[in-house]
Amino acid sequence: MVNALAPETTERVHSPRATGSTVDGRRRTRPRRRQAVVAYLFLAPTLLFFAVFLVLPLGFALLLSMSRWAGFDLGEIDPVGLDNFTDLFVDGSTFLTPILTNTLLFALGTVALALTGSVLVANCIDKLRFQGLWRTLYFLPIVTTVVAIGNVWKYMYEPGGLVNGVLNALGLGSVAFLQDPDTALPSVVVVQAWASVGTAILILTAGLKSIPESYYEAAALDGAGPITVFWKITLPLLRPSLLFVCITQFLTGLQSFALIIVMTKGGPGDATNVAALEMYRQAFSYGDWGTASAAAFVLFVVVLVVTLVQLWIFRRKGEDT
Amino acid sequence: MTPSHRTGALSRRHFALTLPSALLTSGASGCAAPYQGTGRPGDPIVLTLLSHYASGTLKEALQRPVDEWNATHDRVRVRTKAVEFTDLLTTFMVRQAAGQGADILHPYCLWNGQLVQAGVLRPAPSEHAEEIRRGYGGAAVGASSVGGTIYGYPTEVQTYALYYNKRLLREAGVERPPRTWHELEEAAYRTARRDRYGNTLVQGFGLSTYDDSTTVGQTLALLNAAGGTFVSADGRSTAIDSPAGRAVLDLEHRLVVKGASAPGVNVYKAFQSGQVAMVVSAGWWTGSLKAEMGKDYRDVGVAPLPVPEAGDKRATLSTGFMLGVNTASEHPREAWEFLRWLNTEKVSAKSANRGATTTRMSSLQVSVGSLTGRAEDMRTLLGEGSDPNLRPFLDALAYAVPEPNVPGAQQAKSLLRKNIEALWTGQQSVDESLRTIRRQVDQEVSRSW
Repeated sequence: MVNALAPETTERVHSPRATGSTVDGRRRTRPRRRQAVVAYLFLAPTLLFFAVFLVLPLGFALLLSMSRWAGFDLGEIDPVGLDNFTDLFVDGSTFLTPILTNTLLFALGTVALALTGSVLVANCIDKLRFQGLWRTLYFLPIVTTVVAIGNVWKYMYEPGGLVNGVLNALGLGSVAFLQDPDTALPSVVVVQAWASVGTAILILTAGLKSIPESYYEAAALDGAGPITVFWKITLPLLRPSLLFVCITQFLTGLQSFALIIVMTKGGPGDATNVAALEMYRQAFSYGDWGTASAAAFVLFVVVLVVTLVQLWIFRRKGEDT
Repeated sequence: MTPSHRTGALSRRHFALTLPSALLTSGASGCAAPYQGTGRPGDPIVLTLLSHYASGTLKEALQRPVDEWNATHDRVRVRTKAVEFTDLLTTFMVRQAAGQGADILHPYCLWNGQLVQAGVLRPAPSEHAEEIRRGYGGAAVGASSVGGTIYGYPTEVQTYALYYNKRLLREAGVERPPRTWHELEEAAYRTARRDRYGNTLVQGFGLSTYDDSTTVGQTLALLNAAGGTFVSADGRSTAIDSPAGRAVLDLEHRLVVKGASAPGVNVYKAFQSGQVAMVVSAGWWTGSLKAEMGKDYRDVGVAPLPVPEAGDKRATLSTGFMLGVNTASEHPREAWEFLRWLNTEKVSAKSANRGATTTRMSSLQVSVGSLTGRAEDMRTLLGEGSDPNLRPFLDALAYAVPEPNVPGAQQAKSLLRKNIEALWTGQQSVDESLRTIRRQVDQEVSRSW
């Protein structure tokens, strides 16, 4: 593609306008047009792919967000303006509280747990032998399906399950982890964080490797302890990796619903219901595609704002993606 | 700019504008019509039937009469397509939107309002509607109707009754299954047991947040037994905040608070392993229990749903499926004719006495441990020697109340479930639950789509 356009650059230097010759200009415009056509032909498959799988669905979702549609007949799309958006935030609607709140808490909790856990584990791994083995072990949850993870943890959380068994063995009473509305969301957050910690560890260990050894040597000469080294050297120099992990984990958390549908189906009540699950239900169970699409755009705005805020915070600290 | 240039510019702009719509149109037109055979004169018409009878005995049970039809009818052939129940409504939507809707649909009756409103279901022609009214019980006819119009032949009908563990009741000194709510509560408290850590060993009365069937189904069955309904007669509002509704939620709340019920436990598993003394569920469960409990199944008994006071009129919930014809079908007459043949024509029943006849659908449903709304057929097929636990479900066909199927019924059911769960887990009081259900469900069922 670059080679095909390269002669154009040369042509511009000897532009026909510079000589004032219109005939020459026409002669040279023709090959340029041909090159442009060739370029567009090469681009066409990609453009078509984006048009069909990105622009078209996006446009359709935007249309649906301002319409009522039951999902059956394309001829029955009924425009309603911004009604779907206002319905989401009308008094008594559960979308803002608890659904959107749960979504943010879920994402925030996952990021906080996964980030803290992965920084600690990555640091430990960095000091161990057989680092590849440890990284692989921590990466294993990533290659396991969410359904399997969700079901295993669900059984572990059950009243007669492993976690309660351990609590009972310690002389403590049982906890209804997924049945109690106060513990259900934190319980699912723990699983999501556990499942995503492997990727974070992989990125952070790579980040740790890129920190020059000379900093640590200098710190050792100055007599800095391990905690000071971690706070003053490791953590600040790990910031690009942390930013990446933070943003990707937050985005995953905000859009997550598979784990929740497996473990709690959003319950009890709406205690673990999140925006993506609600959208799925509105569209595929209730046939209310308008509300589902409006909710999708609201979630998009939330994701955008959260990402921009994260970028802004890290940039203030002098870090660029 | 010369005219030729202008044309070129316009066509480019038009190309950009019309590309998405052209893709949509070509996609839609390319798959606009359901498969109707080759279309050559003399070739048979092929009707497609989309159901959730996707695997195992269900699939085989439906395929048998379909094969019989295809073997005896040259002009009209039927081809079955099946997806899992969880994907059924979505498949209806996607195929209908793509112009690939099946000729014959087998929806859960809860969706009927939604499907009728979306223009997917065709009303039954008068002669078929008359045949349905004459041949089926009121609950089955009601479930297959929307706004008084019948939209299909009822197939599988489920009624709710009380399952109980005879051994657990006996050990607790309860001699017979409860008949009233007072007896139910007493038996529940006497049979419930927990260990010192608070783990449930035996639930007296199984309340479960496992799925809609256990959470909402049992609540609605108790509501019907108390003389109440979930949705008002005109289908525009909820009627759950009636004295009957309050009584049901009070009863459930008491059972949870006093420790006789543990909503976190999966009641389907716990009952099988003797950890639940009583639970309200539908008739289909008997087949699963028999298969999975082995000789322990002898401990299982089924009784009619207890009523609030002795002498109260019996009532319970019924849910079901129906076979209807798609408005997009090009051969509705042939489709209705196939449904009439499958659902009303009597043939000799293999499992019944010599000379006894039932419809093919009745035989099909009983062969998979289910019932149809044809009480006469069910009595023929479930004669001497059949599982006595099926009898209360069969008797309930006479007094069961159909599950509401107004537009928005699926969402109303989900809202009810969320609020019931919130009540059971202490997030809401009975009053708050009733108020929230009223507000949320009213908003949903009354909105003009």
